[in-house]
This record gives sequence, structure tokens and C-alpha cells, in this order.
Amino acid sequence: MDWGKLRFFLNEVRRNFTRNVIMQLTAIGTVTVMIVLLGVFLFGREAVARIGDQVVHQIEISVFLDDKATASDAHDAIIAIRSDPRVESVDYVPKAEGLRRMRERLRNQIDTSLLTSNPLPDALHVRVIDAGTVAAVAAHVRKLPHVADVEYAHDAVERLLRLSDVVGKVGIAILALLIFTAAIIISNTIRLTVYARRREIAIMQLVGASNTYIRLPFICEGLLDGLLGALLALAILALARWQLLPKITTALPFVPADVLHIDPTLLALELLGVGAAVGILASWVSVSRQLRV
Amino acid sequence: MISLRGVSLVYPNGTRALDDVDIEIAKGSFVFLVGHSGTGKSSLLRLLYREQKPTRGEVSVDNVRVDNMRNAKVPELRRNVGVVFQDFKLLQDKTVWENVAFALQVTGARTKDVMRQVPRVLDQVGLAHKARVFPSELSGGEQQRTAIARALVNNPKIMLCDEPTGNLDPVNANEIMDLLHRINLKGTTMVVATHNAQVVDRMRRRVIRLEHGKITADDERGFYHVTDAGETTTTVVAAFK
Ligand SMILES: Nc1ncnc2c1ncn2[C@@H]1O[C@H](COP(=O)(O)OP(=O)(O)OP(=O)(O)O)[C@@H](O)[C@H]1O
Ligand SMILES: [Mg+2]
Repeated sequence: MDWGKLRFFLNEVRRNFTRNVIMQLTAIGTVTVMIVLLGVFLFGREAVARIGDQVVHQIEISVFLDDKATASDAHDAIIAIRSDPRVESVDYVPKAEGLRRMRERLRNQIDTSLLTSNPLPDALHVRVIDAGTVAAVAAHVRKLPHVADVEYAHDAVERLLRLSDVVGKVGIAILALLIFTAAIIISNTIRLTVYARRREIAIMQLVGASNTYIRLPFICEGLLDGLLGALLALAILALARWQLLPKITTALPFVPADVLHIDPTLLALELLGVGAAVGILASWVSVSRQLRV
Repeated sequence: MISLRGVSLVYPNGTRALDDVDIEIAKGSFVFLVGHSGTGKSSLLRLLYREQKPTRGEVSVDNVRVDNMRNAKVPELRRNVGVVFQDFKLLQDKTVWENVAFALQVTGARTKDVMRQVPRVLDQVGLAHKARVFPSELSGGEQQRTAIARALVNNPKIMLCDEPTGNLDPVNANEIMDLLHRINLKGTTMVVATHNAQVVDRMRRRVIRLEHGKITADDERGFYHVTDAGETTTTVVAAFK
């Protein structure tokens, strides 16, 4: 390892970075804002997904078998439905069990002893893994032999899906805009550094420095902007995670405490990655455009 | 070593800086480029280190075509060609040592080589004792020596000097020319564009004269002024137009 070479290079980066502190801080600040919002968005999306999962979990497809279905027909239907990879579970409720459950549910409301015969069909309660597949699974099940009727909470599912779709798209649009803004500000900062160092760059080109070598300190400058901004954002997000989130979950009962268990390390790494990538890309574009020979 | 064949250069604004120029420069030679202001001397030099591409014709340096050279190859060319300017082009916030070392460091040289080469060239240009001094604390002559040391530190085969004595008094100008001459005697091909008649006449080297982008004279042991014997009348007439 050639320490002298490394020291010279790091010194170049430091000089770039400290040349215009105000611009540098602006770039870092923009990245911070971007990453904080990105973090909140990703976290929020995960939380909404979990809330959605809970709701969706309560949505089941009720499958009613016809009168002629025997226990073995019911068994065949269960096997057929279970073999569908989209299905999470199938719960078999024979008519006797159905009646018992209904009696339990309606106890104290009507006198169930009045029911002399059992009006209920044999039923299967199906849960799917992904809410988006409810309609398809229901349609599939409807075609099985001895299935008389299929019911599920149509509207609830569709409205939920549409909502999370819209929220996702709006979020992504806002984020794209933010990332774009951060990239512009970083490349503008780099542009100013390139301008401030134009004499040095001219001499580097004159004495035969390679393009990569000339670009590298500027790329590092962008990388530093991105990383420092992301680190600052992570600090803010961590503070919010440990100070604010427990208060939110207690204040809003529909937010499952489950969200507290979302793994922060993976999210943190993703955010650092985004910060670094934006920094590198923005400076790369900026430097390439200006150093074209 | 250097060859131009049918080279023309027309700038985007329509200025014809060079017009069908043919030149051959042998390895190890010392050549002056002379001519009035705006006749294309700097433009010609710029073709040789690929700061500029010719509009037409072939340019070869060290047996390599540079007119159609890929951009990625240009740094390699420039490590073989040292360039010196009238205005020195030194970095004011770096010392003499750092300015010279810079040329090695930015080409990725090992620290070991930097430590060996920089003192060698500073010694060669007679600035070893000023290594720790900033350009603003140097005389013009010393600044130009620093620039020459920087051009020299990559051991170039060719040195191109664009009015190296333009900002210097006669004493310093002579010293710089003697330095360039000594470097040339060690084998470096030297091309010097200049307006300094006294220096050209004293050294009596090959003189190539440009007028309006054309070569009007090329004398093995020439003078700065065109009135000398051996030159054609057309040259004289053209020069006095
Ligand atoms: N980048 C440029 N764009 C357009 N025209 C240019 C450019 N550089 C030089 N010229 C023109 O080309 C011609 C030759 O210029 P050049 O600088 O080569 O002359 P020169 O012989 O070096 O002059 P001087 O002795 O004053 O340095 C001039 O007419 C000049 O105005
Ligand atoms: Mg000139």
C-alpha cells in the first residue's frame, strides 16, 4: 500500500469538500430531508401493509357445499383448495358445527331451541395469503364440484387494495421528485467545485492525468454528500423510532404494536445505499458533463 | 518524431488558423516557430498535444497518429509531451515542490518515484533551494523554471514551449533558453514558439516561419527576421505585406 498516494488523494477530496462549506451543507441537508421522507415512506408502507394484512386476514372466503355433498366430497374439496398455493388455510365447518357456532353467537338474542331442524349447509372457510388474490381464488373455488355458493367481502377487499395502490403511487411520485431535487443540488455543488478547481483540472489534463483520476475526487465528494446526508437522516429517524413511535401506537389503536418490530437495520442499510447512490450518480453526471474532452 | 501532413485547422467561428501545413521534425532537434501574432503558432502546438484536432490532414507525434486518437489515449500522449506556456500556469496555493510533484501524483505515480524525480528535475532547472517556496514569492524566471520542471518530471520525449520567454526580461529569457537548450542536448525534442528575435538569432537553430497559417520559410540555421540571405523573395514580400 502506497500511503503517500492515498494521503495525496484524500487531501484532494478534503480540499474539494471544504472549498464551499455552505453549498456542501445545502447538499447534505437536501439529502437528509430526502432520506428522512424516504425512511418514513418505507416504514409507513410496511406499517400499512401490516395493518392491511391484519384486515385482510379477517377476510375469508365462505364456501357453501350443496345438500348432496358427503363428508368425503367435502374432504376432496378441502384437498383441492389447499393445493392452491395462494391459499393459506381451509377451515371445515360441517353443518352440525355451524349450527353450534351459530347458537353460541346468537345466545341471549333469540331462543335457539326453537330451531328444530338444521338449515345450514356444510361450509369451508378459506383464507388467502395475499389479499389481491381473493377474487381469483373465489372464482376458482366456485368451479369445484358440490360447491353451491361462494361469498366474501368484495367491497372491503377492493377498496383496501385501491387505497394502498394510490398511496403507494403518490408516495413514489413524491419520492422521485425529492430524489431528483437532491441529485440536482448535489450535481450543482460538484459543478461549483469543478469551477473553483478549473485551473487545477486544466493542469491535470495537460500533464496527462486520466479522466478517471480527475473525476474520482469529485465522485468522492458526491458520495460524501450522500452518505453524510443519509447518516444525519438515520439519526433523525432513529430518534423518531424510539421516541415517537411508541406514543403513536398507543395513541392510535388501529396501528398494530407489530410495527415496532419492523427490522431497522435493513431499512438503515437501504437508506444509506440510496444516499450513496444518489451522491455518486449526481456527481458522475455533473463531472462527466463538464470534463468532456 | 513529429510530422504534419496537409494539416489545416479551421476554428468553429470560421477562422483559418492553419492552411495545408507540412512539417517534419526529427528526433532530438530544436525548432523555433516564428511569425506574426495570430499566424497559428499556438494552434499548431495545440495540435501536437491534442488540445485541438485538425480539420484536415494527419498529425503524428512519436510515430503515433494523434489527429484521430481515441480520447482515452490522450493522457498517455500528454505524459510524453511536456508543455510550457508564457503565463507559467502554476498553482498558487502549492509550493514549487508540490507544483512539480503534482504532475506525477495525478498520473498515479508511486510516492517512491515522486521522491526521486522531483529533486532530480528541481536540481536540473536550478531550483532545489526554492523547493518550499510559493510561486508568488518567485521571480518570473524562477516561475518559468518551475513550469519547465513540471513539464520535465514525466521524462517527456518532446517539449512544446509557447512563448516561454514572453513574460521575462532579456537576462531571464536567455537563461530560460539556455535551460531549454541543455534539456534538448539530453535528447528531448524541443519546439519553441517565440517572438523573441534576440534569442532566435543568438541560438541559430532551425526556424519555421508561419504567415497566415502557411509555412513561408524553413531554415536549418535561421534568423528571426526574414531579411536574411537564403530566403526567397516571395517570403520577404509576404512578410512585409
Ligand atoms: N479557440 C479559438 N477559436 C477561434 N479562433 C481562434 C481560437 N484560437 C485562436 N484563434 C484564431 O486563430 C488564429 C491563430 O491563432 P494562434 O493563437 O494560433 O496564433 P499565434 O501565432 O499563437 O499568435 P500569438 O503570436 O499572438 O500567440 C488567430 O486568428 C486567432 O484569432
Ligand atoms: Mg500564441
